[in-house]
Amino acid sequence: MTPFLPLGRLALVFLRIGNLTLGGGNPTMAAMERELVEHRGWLSAEQYGLAYALARLTPGTNVLAFCAGAAWYLRGWRGALAAVLLVTVPCSVLTVWLTHAYETLKANPLATGAISGMLAAAVGMMAAAAWRLIRPHARGGQWARTLALPAGAAILSLGFAVPPIQALALAALAGFFWRGPGENR
Amino acid sequence: MNVLLLYLLLLKATLTSFSGLTSLPMVRNDLVVRYRVLTDRELNTALVAGHTGPGPYGLYLVSVGYFVAGIPGAVAGWLALVTPAFLIIPMLRYLGRRAEQPGVRSSIQAVTLAAAGLIISSTVPLARDAITSLLAVAVALGSFLLLTATRLDTLWVIAGAAGVGLIASVLH
Repeated sequence: MTPFLPLGRLALVFLRIGNLTLGGGNPTMAAMERELVEHRGWLSAEQYGLAYALARLTPGTNVLAFCAGAAWYLRGWRGALAAVLLVTVPCSVLTVWLTHAYETLKANPLATGAISGMLAAAVGMMAAAAWRLIRPHARGGQWARTLALPAGAAILSLGFAVPPIQALALAALAGFFWRGPGENR
Repeated sequence: MNVLLLYLLLLKATLTSFSGLTSLPMVRNDLVVRYRVLTDRELNTALVAGHTGPGPYGLYLVSVGYFVAGIPGAVAGWLALVTPAFLIIPMLRYLGRRAEQPGVRSSIQAVTLAAAGLIISSTVPLARDAITSLLAVAVALGSFLLLTATRLDTLWVIAGAAGVGLIASVLH
């Protein structure tokens, strides 16, 4: 843990990067690397790497786990709490305001047109999110596993109404025994 | 719906997911299908609201909570979003590099891939609600292509789709 780092300085960095970086978690974590490791030298590359890796294994939203982990290295539990609060509260307030605005505007015909366009885009956005999860594993030698696991989960859900938690538990079990190339090391 | 129950349902969804939108199938299953306190259209709107501003994609949970129970619901959604983040601290302290064990890593990877399949299955009912014209098909396909083939930010894709919808309603 870096000693004597004022909580206020840490809070400002997380507040700024967490609420001004568009594009979700990955750009935010990349911006944190530039700020915390390269520019300020508050974290070592190893600490950043371990926080990043474990954030991907922590349930929930990866970037929030990363912020909690990185800030815990810097200022313990207080730092972790401050970082997660400052990264989420302002943009949560904005999200509520946007939700309210979309609902208020839906009576307006012009706004309905715009919202219909956005809802159609959300369908493309979800399909893109699924593809982005699959793409890193779609490499030579593991195509069967990369296709079978999402397809199996989709079939269980759509065809047999298996609840998501059971489909995910089955996938975890399958993944433990059916490993991709290079996963046995 | 009771706010505590809403929090616990959303927490269940975040605790069994490993990135922003992978909680979506569980949220839909519980709130749209089982308890019927949310519609597919509201869930779709929540996704748009959560992606329009800055911050993590999981912010759509705040919007979902707001739809179900107003401001207290939004707070429940926010709490469900942030609670699991603190699990990383005991992991950093005690687990460390053990998380790199092949079996654990392979299981997490499999869960992530299965979550992608579940997202696709959740997209089907949302598409039935949102894709009601040829223009909507084009917007959805265009959005998918822009988000997978370019580095364009989601915000601009949503803004562009809004512009297309607006122009179409003016011309209609």
